Amino acid sequence: MASEQQSKSDKSKWYRLDNAALMYSAIQRNTYSAVFRFSAVMTGKVNPDVLQRAIALTIPRFPTFRVKMKRGVFWYYFEPNDAPGPFLKADISNFCQPMRAKEDHDWLIRFFYYENRISIECFHALADGAGALTLFRTLLAVYLRELGYRIPAECGVCDMSASASAAEQEDAYQRYAGSVAAHGGIPRKAYSAGGTPEPFYTLNVTMGLIPLDALAAKAKEQKVSVTEYLAAALIYVLLERQRREGFQKKLPVALAIPINLRGWFPSDTLRNFILTVSPSVDPNLGDYTFEEIVTQVHHYMRLNVNRKLLQARLTGNVRFQRNRLLQIIPCVLKNPILGFCYWFAGVYPVSATYTNPGAFTVPTEMQPHIQRMEVILGQPYGNRVNCASISYGNVMELTIAGNIRERDIERELFRFLVRQGLKVKMISNREE
Amino acid sequence: MSYCVNCGVELDETAGVCPLCETQVYHPRYPVNHTASKPFPTNRAEVSMASRREVALLITVMFVSVALCCGLLNLFLRTQRIWSLYIIGAVLTLWVWSVPPLLKNIPLWFRLFLDVIAVGTYVFLIAVDLDGINWFMGLALPILSLLMAVMLFLGISMGGGRSILSGMTLVIGTIGVFLFGVELFIDFWITGAYHPTWSIAVLATSAALVVPLIVVRRVPNLREEARRRFHL
Repeated sequence: MASEQQSKSDKSKWYRLDNAALMYSAIQRNTYSAVFRFSAVMTGKVNPDVLQRAIALTIPRFPTFRVKMKRGVFWYYFEPNDAPGPFLKADISNFCQPMRAKEDHDWLIRFFYYENRISIECFHALADGAGALTLFRTLLAVYLRELGYRIPAECGVCDMSASASAAEQEDAYQRYAGSVAAHGGIPRKAYSAGGTPEPFYTLNVTMGLIPLDALAAKAKEQKVSVTEYLAAALIYVLLERQRREGFQKKLPVALAIPINLRGWFPSDTLRNFILTVSPSVDPNLGDYTFEEIVTQVHHYMRLNVNRKLLQARLTGNVRFQRNRLLQIIPCVLKNPILGFCYWFAGVYPVSATYTNPGAFTVPTEMQPHIQRMEVILGQPYGNRVNCASISYGNVMELTIAGNIRERDIERELFRFLVRQGLKVKMISNREE
Repeated sequence: MSYCVNCGVELDETAGVCPLCETQVYHPRYPVNHTASKPFPTNRAEVSMASRREVALLITVMFVSVALCCGLLNLFLRTQRIWSLYIIGAVLTLWVWSVPPLLKNIPLWFRLFLDVIAVGTYVFLIAVDLDGINWFMGLALPILSLLMAVMLFLGISMGGGRSILSGMTLVIGTIGVFLFGVELFIDFWITGAYHPTWSIAVLATSAALVVPLIVVRRVPNLREEARRRFHL
C-alpha cells in the first residue's frame, strides 16, 4: 500500500525545466542533442554485471535524472520515467549521439563500459557537469561497494540510505534571481573555427594527458589559474589559425566558458546551475603574444566573474524566461525563437566552448581504484570543435572533440603545450 | 613508449600513427602493440538518419483535414458554386511540394517537374471552373511549359556542387530569360504580335549582372578577391 502511494506521488511529480534546460530542450532535434560525457578509467577491468546492478541501485536515488522529457503546450517538462533501465551498454567509438524521443525508453542518460572505462552520457537539460559528476561519483562508489570495498558516503558521494533532498532538486536560478537584471549588448560575430564536416554522425575525440603539477606550475609562472592558462592557449591557437587562413577582415576569437555558480551562490542542486562567460581577443587591434592573451583572459575573468555581475546576468535570463509574451507562445512556435536566441547569444559570438569542471575528488578509499577521469563535450552546435578538461590525481585530461575532419586545432594546441615544456600523452578515437 | 617526431607528444602503445599529424610510428625498441586493446572502442554504432515519415504523416493529416473541412462546408455555404475545389487544389499542390521529398530522396529535376505539374493542374482546375480553357491553352500552358523548362534547366545545371558564383549567374540569367518569355507569350495572347517593353529592361539588367559574375568566376585573382571580401 505504501509503495503504491509512493508510486502515485512519483507519477504526480513533475519538474519545470530550469533556465539553461529551456535552451537545450529548444535546440533538441533528432539530429542534435546537447550531450556531454564523463568517463572514469578504473585500475581494473570493468565487471558489466556488477556495474548494471550498481546503476539499478543508484538511479532511484537521483529523481532528477530518472526522468523523461515531455512537451507541454507552452513549455517542455520532465516527468518520472518508470521504464526499465537505463541499461549498461558496450561502448562505441562515436560518442555522445543525439537523444531521440521514443528511443532507449526515453532515458536521457546513458551508461557505457569498455575495458577499464566506465562512461556516463547526460543530456544537458537534465544537469550540468557538477550535477552529473555527483551522480557519477556516487555510481562509482556503489559499484566499488558491490565489488566488496568499503566506501564511505563522504567527499561528494551521496548517502544511498537517504532519499533525495528538496535542495538537490531545486531550480537554483529561480532562487537566486534578484531584482537587478543585466542585459548583454548586441553580440559581435566571432571567428568560427570550422572545417570539412564529417559524415553524420561522427565525433572525433583527441585527448591529451598532462601532469597536473607541471601544468599548474606553468600557470603559476603566469600568475593565473589552470583554466585561464588553457583557455589562453586555445585562444592563441585559434588566433594563429585565423591568421593562417589569411582573410583581410579578422574576427575576434571568443571562448564560452561555463562557470559553476555553486561557488558563488550556495546550492546543492544537481540540476543546471551555470552561466557562461566569454573572454575574447580581437586580432584587429594587433598581434598578441601568448603572455598578453593570458593576461587578458585573467583580467577578464577577474572582472566578470563576481557575485553581483553573475546575479544580474542570472536575473536577466530568468526574466526572459518569465516574459509573459514568451510564455504564452505555444511550445512548437517557441522552439525556433529560443533556438535563434541560443544561436545569437551562444554560437554566433563564440569561437569554441571550453569547460573545466575542475578536480574530481573522491573519498580516500576510492582513490586506488581510479586511474584518471575524462570528459567530452558532445556534438558541437554547428561545424566546429569544443574543448574540455578535468583533473584527477596528478593527471589533467584535456579533450578536443568536434565533427570536422581537420585536426589542426588539436595538433597546434598540444604542440603548443609541448613547446611550453609539458609532457603530453595522446589518445584518440580517430580511425588510423 | 614512442613519441611523435613532429609533435613531441607521447603516443599510446597501440597507435600506428600520431593522432595529431598522422606520422607513421616506427620505433625499433617499442614496436606498435597490435594485441593490446585500443584506448577507445573501434566499433561504430551506426546512427540511422532521423525518420521523416512522422512529419510527412503530420503534414498529410493537416492537409486532408483542411480539404475535408472545406469540402463539407461547401455543402452548406454558397452551394451554387464548388468554391472548395480552389482550396483543395491549393492543398494538393502544397502536398506535392512538401511531402514526397520527405518520404524519398527524389532527384531535384524530378521534384521540380512534379512541382510545376502540380501548379499546372491547379491552374487547369481554375480554368475549368471559370470556363477559361482558352486562356489556359493560349497563355497559362505556354508560360507553365516555359517555367518547367527553366526549372528543369536550373535543377540539372545547379546539381553537382556548383560554386556560389556559378549558381548566382545561372539563377539571374534564367530569371531574365523566363521573364522575357513571359512577356512574349502575354503579347502574343493579347495582341497577336510581340512588342517588347519591360522584359527587355529585365533581360538587360540580368545580362549586366551575369557578365561581371562570369568574369569574376573565370579570373582566379578576382574570384579569390571576391571570396575574401564576401566571406561569411
